[in-house]
Amino acid sequence: MSGLYVDSVNKEFGLNQILTDVFISCKIGEVIGLLGRNGAGKSTLLQIIFGALKAGHKYVKVNDKLIHTLFDSRDLIRYLPQDSFLPIHVSVKTIIAIYCTSIQAAQLHELAFIKPFLFKKSNELSGGEKRLIEIFILLYGKAKFVLLDEPFNGLAPLHIELVKEGIKAAAVNKGFIITDHDY
Amino acid sequence: MNILAALWVFYKKLIFPSFAISVLLALFFIDSSKFLSGVGIAYVFLTPSLHFLFYDLSRPKEYYFYHNLGLSKTTLYLNSILISLIIGIILLLI
Repeated sequence: MSGLYVDSVNKEFGLNQILTDVFISCKIGEVIGLLGRNGAGKSTLLQIIFGALKAGHKYVKVNDKLIHTLFDSRDLIRYLPQDSFLPIHVSVKTIIAIYCTSIQAAQLHELAFIKPFLFKKSNELSGGEKRLIEIFILLYGKAKFVLLDEPFNGLAPLHIELVKEGIKAAAVNKGFIITDHDY
Repeated sequence: MNILAALWVFYKKLIFPSFAISVLLALFFIDSSKFLSGVGIAYVFLTPSLHFLFYDLSRPKEYYFYHNLGLSKTTLYLNSILISLIIGIILLLI
């Protein structure tokens, strides 16, 4: 099967079984919503798919490649955690250069809402500005599948619309799994 | 190339504090004839400790920046230890 294919995910914390035999799949062009109450295991599932969290059992495949570790998911799956992950004291331009190819970086540099921040360091940005940059470096990055954990948290309504448009545009050649509470 | 740039971004935050503390420790505790060796040994042990303080305790979410590039915590620790060893050995040999 082509695309991202996740099956038989089990995870428990102590005696608390969080995920039991979870199946989810995503193809290029799809935007999958993952909905649920707080503590239902949405973030845990995304972290397991990404490879940042060990599962009791998991089967994750992208096209024909099995994903066991973070190294396997490199350039295939990228993950936006709930909290900011940008390294402090590093300029936005450097961060973009690390995450994107030169062509993708040039496109990002031209975006009106990214341009003013290019030479600022991440610790000089507000929470919403950081979030916006984090999302767009993932949307413009190399990975074919992007896992967004509550991407709209902390964003201004205008920026939420920008992100929605960005996701729709990027979905032409990427697949998305998104968690959110606004449903 | 991007991976090397990311590793540099990760490691460069550790250089100055590790080096500064190593020099201070060597100044206070090591004989002046073995000053550089003292700095080197302190640097090798301090950098992984500062790595733990800076990243694991202070900013654990920053790890995701590196995870997205395929770099696990283990890889980042090995990187810290390896570069520190190289710098430490150079200081010992001077």
